Amino acid sequence: MRIEDVVCPFCGCLCDDLVVSVEGTKVLSVENGCTLATEKFTGDHRLAHPIRRTGGAWEKTTYDDAIRETAEILLDAERPLLYGWSGTFVEAQTLGVHMAELLGAVIDNTSTVCHGPSIMAIQEVGHPGCTLGQVKNRADVIVYWGANPIEAHPRHMSRYTTFTDGFFVKSAFRERKVIVVDIRETDSSEIADEFVKVTPGGDYAVLTALRMIVRGKGDLVPATVSGVTREQLFRVAEICLSARFGAIFFGLGLTMSRGKSKNIRNAIELTEELNRHTKFTISPMRGHWNVYGSNEVFTWITGYPYAVDFSRGIAFYNPGETTSVDLLRRKECDACLVVASDPGAHFPRACAEHLASIPTVQIDPHVNATTHLSRIQIPVAVTGIDAEGTAYRMDGVPIRTRKLFSTGYPDDVAVLGRVYSLVKEAKG
Amino acid sequence: MRVILKTRPRKKPHVPIEAEGIIPQNFLRKNDLTVYEGNRERNLEDLFFVTVEGPAVSPDQVEIILTGDTGRIKRVGEYMNAGRIIIEGDIGMHCGNFMSAGEIIIRGNADAWLGREMRGGRILCEGTAGDYCGAGYRGEKRGMRGGTIEVMGNAGDFVAEYLSGGEVIIHGNCGDLPGVEMRGGTLVIGGNCSRPCGNMTGGTCMVIGDPGELLPSFRRNGSTEVEFGGKKFRMAVFRGDVANRGKGTLLVKEEAIISRSGRDERL
Amino acid sequence: MTQGILIKNAYVIDPLSGIRGEIMDIAIRDGRIVEDALPGSEVIDAGGCLTLPGGIDSHSHVCGTKVNFGRYMSPEDMRAGRTSRKGVMHVTSGYSVPTTFGNSYRYSTMGYTTVLEGAMAPLEARHTHEEFTATPHQDMLANTLFDGNWSVMEAVREKDVKRAAAIVAWTLAAVKGFAIKLTNPGGTEAWGWGKDVSHIHDPVPYFEVTPAEIISTMIQANEILRLPHSVHLHCNNLGVPGNFRTTLETMDLAPPAGGDRQTLYLTHVQFHSYGGTTWRDISSKSEEIARSLNSKPQVVIDMGQIMFGRTTTMTADGPMEFKLYMLHHNKWSNHDVELETGSGIIPVYYSRKSLVNCVMWAIGLELALLAKNPWQCLLSTDNPNGAPFVKYPEIIALLMSRRMRENEREEIDPRTEHYVPLFALDRELDWYDIAVMTRAGQAKAMGITRIGKGHLSPGAQADVAIYPLKPDNLDPSVDYQQVMAGFSRTLYTIKRGRVVARDGDVVVEGANSTIWTRSRVPPEYDMGSDPEFTRKFDQYYTVRLRNYPVQDVYLPRGVCIETEAAL
Ligand code: SF4
Ligand SMILES: [Zn+2]
Repeated sequence: MRIEDVVCPFCGCLCDDLVVSVEGTKVLSVENGCTLATEKFTGDHRLAHPIRRTGGAWEKTTYDDAIRETAEILLDAERPLLYGWSGTFVEAQTLGVHMAELLGAVIDNTSTVCHGPSIMAIQEVGHPGCTLGQVKNRADVIVYWGANPIEAHPRHMSRYTTFTDGFFVKSAFRERKVIVVDIRETDSSEIADEFVKVTPGGDYAVLTALRMIVRGKGDLVPATVSGVTREQLFRVAEICLSARFGAIFFGLGLTMSRGKSKNIRNAIELTEELNRHTKFTISPMRGHWNVYGSNEVFTWITGYPYAVDFSRGIAFYNPGETTSVDLLRRKECDACLVVASDPGAHFPRACAEHLASIPTVQIDPHVNATTHLSRIQIPVAVTGIDAEGTAYRMDGVPIRTRKLFSTGYPDDVAVLGRVYSLVKEAKG
Repeated sequence: MRVILKTRPRKKPHVPIEAEGIIPQNFLRKNDLTVYEGNRERNLEDLFFVTVEGPAVSPDQVEIILTGDTGRIKRVGEYMNAGRIIIEGDIGMHCGNFMSAGEIIIRGNADAWLGREMRGGRILCEGTAGDYCGAGYRGEKRGMRGGTIEVMGNAGDFVAEYLSGGEVIIHGNCGDLPGVEMRGGTLVIGGNCSRPCGNMTGGTCMVIGDPGELLPSFRRNGSTEVEFGGKKFRMAVFRGDVANRGKGTLLVKEEAIISRSGRDERL
Repeated sequence: MTQGILIKNAYVIDPLSGIRGEIMDIAIRDGRIVEDALPGSEVIDAGGCLTLPGGIDSHSHVCGTKVNFGRYMSPEDMRAGRTSRKGVMHVTSGYSVPTTFGNSYRYSTMGYTTVLEGAMAPLEARHTHEEFTATPHQDMLANTLFDGNWSVMEAVREKDVKRAAAIVAWTLAAVKGFAIKLTNPGGTEAWGWGKDVSHIHDPVPYFEVTPAEIISTMIQANEILRLPHSVHLHCNNLGVPGNFRTTLETMDLAPPAGGDRQTLYLTHVQFHSYGGTTWRDISSKSEEIARSLNSKPQVVIDMGQIMFGRTTTMTADGPMEFKLYMLHHNKWSNHDVELETGSGIIPVYYSRKSLVNCVMWAIGLELALLAKNPWQCLLSTDNPNGAPFVKYPEIIALLMSRRMRENEREEIDPRTEHYVPLFALDRELDWYDIAVMTRAGQAKAMGITRIGKGHLSPGAQADVAIYPLKPDNLDPSVDYQQVMAGFSRTLYTIKRGRVVARDGDVVVEGANSTIWTRSRVPPEYDMGSDPEFTRKFDQYYTVRLRNYPVQDVYLPRGVCIETEAAL
């Protein structure tokens, strides 16, 4: 069977034009998707049934027992952490937040290791952005800063920017200028009209220099700034200023390097400055599939996009304090529920070690690095393959994923719903 | 009155305690103070051995002494408006949040957000301070607005972010971007740092040690002489951050500028 | 469902039923108002207290992409109002842009049972609907943005009203929207290039249509589709000194009403009633606007009152928010939506020390006091743009008490009186006027009386608010403090036959409905199979046509108002 307009469940581009051929519960082929998509659809390593660690060994357990024990662990804990959420859909994320408020837990999503600093910067200065179609139809200047889309978001350029024609940009290849800023050459920098190579940790100063030039204070800019020549800085500023519509996309190269949120703030303020002369937007390249959905859900229920601490009943938010990596590094948590993400693969070692030393439960379809740190794992259906629900694209556009076929697995809502009921019962 | 709070041993010593109730005015009358250990509400006595010596009729006569394993206790001295708190060891985050008067003395190290959004009074930290010392809260336009924070050791990143009034003095080194978004008040750094005063719009910052790399967005504006720790220093004066229409003042040692002038053609 | 409720000794004002203050009983059964109570009904003794149909807000920003971004970017606002999970209540955060549950509970304890979200971008409609289900105490409706819709502008350029109507019909059904919203028509498209339109006859770049043409075409399309509401318009030039001329010209575009409701609804008119040429000489033009309004029964407006203090402004009007940002230089968010519309957000502080803010404050009140017919001027703050909706009780008190206005006069910039007529106005609105301006008028203007909203006659939805106010022994012009307190907290809020809030406490989790409209069109007008429409869709949107419509699962209790299009 050929299913059209399938939504890809892998990265924040949320491409919704995939054509997937399936037979029974097997994916035969994926058209239109990139290799990451194909891997996601055809990969296995699915855990067959819930497992539980006793002593050093794994043993098979039932959904009933695993769910009951999960609830007990969470109810017992004085500082439980509910982490992950980027690989699942909004309805499951909603349950997670309600469970956290009842438990007095900290709930956090994968922003903590990707665009948390972007969120902090947005909270200082706001965010002039747009949907991706606005870029596709209008932008004549595209800037990728600290991002390598060809590797991390393989269809970003062909669907939304460099290689796709738009309403006002009839021939993208000729009419769009591409600027890539990074600390090293990448596949993406190869195709740039202008590649700006910055010394590591120097982005903040380069952004400052560009802001100065745009403001007419370029006279103060020295011969080089963080490895970038004055001439190139002026040239880049000129390209931006003569754009009809410019769009900046930034990635982890900017969020996770020295200065972190302040880099993003500087980039946003450059965008604002440019808007006094022409039209410019800026957008984070969100990686983990539905991480933006978790930011949205957390926000409409708690007021904060990530790192929300309910230990005092009310919602408290303070990245650096209530963010998972910081909590685990300080060994604050005494239990953890991981849903739809793989901290074992992404967190610093000290954090992973702490996860291994406390009761950690993972709800995830696959055997992954976190499995090795967990006490219990409950397998579920894969959102976008055998489960459906809402996901938010990196630009905030919500799309409902399709379910291609049914397997015997319960989805995240089914499992979390049962844990939540037990918690509710216990809390009266 | 002297109140001595000595921590009791805990089963989970890493779980933070939130104790915004520990401020002098709360000990005037005997009341049932509670604090939080993680998500559990506890009586003060469950977590501390409490000794009270002598009387007091007003909060400025109350001195609180915290001893033991105090490095995980957060929010001590929050909204404090009189009296004194002495912490014999380390203290957790947010010590002296919103404090408006009185004094806090920390003999050990302070964790992040020391004196967050402070309005007045004095904090002395004899050890080191963490990130965001004398800073504000996420999304707010003003950080510390008044009072004094003095740190004898080093401090972390983003010291005095959004400083709007009062004085922050760090005798040791600061991390990255001290005085970032600063808009008033005074920041003094006795040691080294990097990228001071990014995006500042007002206030004065003085770096006695090596300021590391300076951002390009500061305009030289003469020289001056200052005194710090009984010594006189010849300082280069900069105005900025011009990328942000800023009118702040940044003073760095003239020698620090000369030693790098080969790299920086403005000088 | 329970046995039912019998409210006894209620001081009822039910303008749509012509009841202007009578002590009577109200019987409720199965979620509806009925003639007689069932034996065994729960009895509520209202003790002569003011009893009104549930409050209706006809223009408020509470759910969707832009509102949530207002929260996202404002942790400082979130910490300004927080409650923990308690009984059936979820946690709440926020003051000017509260969380969905925060909005819902606060509206509920003020007696509001129906709220229209003022601006939903079709492409992001799913988000609005998700937040609707998390706003459980109010039935929700969504104004759907068409101000910069490419297909509509092309139809306008071709002077093809029927095609414009067909596009509206398809879109409303696809995104489960309620009504046509135009925000700075044409201006949001111009903002795609960082520009704006400055006049209703100023052409939109590339599309070469004018705001006036868009407005007129959409008014006709609306009538062709027989939608329950009229075109809901946020005029061009919001917040610009001298903009009252634009507003007057726009009002002139409204054709006479055919039926019993308006053909044009202008929202937050306070922001559109400025004289002068700069912020320095801004003055009130409320008298000119009210004069026009009083002569045009086909126009309904809402106030867009501002109140002093901190709030967050958010609108689809992207260019206006950028202008505001350059004035305040605080934080600024913008979000353009491909082929459709835009939006902007900035925090503001309205100060009694700012002459401009004082003039704005006066204008809103003047509009309400100068409008002869309360059905034509509804109470709103354009929540949260002028002020968070929790300020409504204060606005009611100001409208009912000249003394309160005089007291406020002492507090504000003393120059204000030279720029505004407010202090020369003696009028004090009465209970009936307030009942019209906060529910009955909204229900009528939105065309939802037919589904039992905004009145208490048998068959109506049992949405009732009982306030701790006894009109018989209260003089609002003197006891304005009591009026304020009374409207802030109902004794009972009843939603669809169930008590949902009591004395300021929320007592049930709630389960709301979403009301949307579908116009049946002949097959040749079905845009879903129109080759030109679908080809352009596939080419220029970044979402596939099949993934665009909002699926039924997003409206667990959807209520569809169907109409027969005159196509
Ligand atoms: S770019 Fe991302 S969303 Fe698109 S197909 Fe590849 S992995 Fe999937
Ligand atoms: Zn509005």
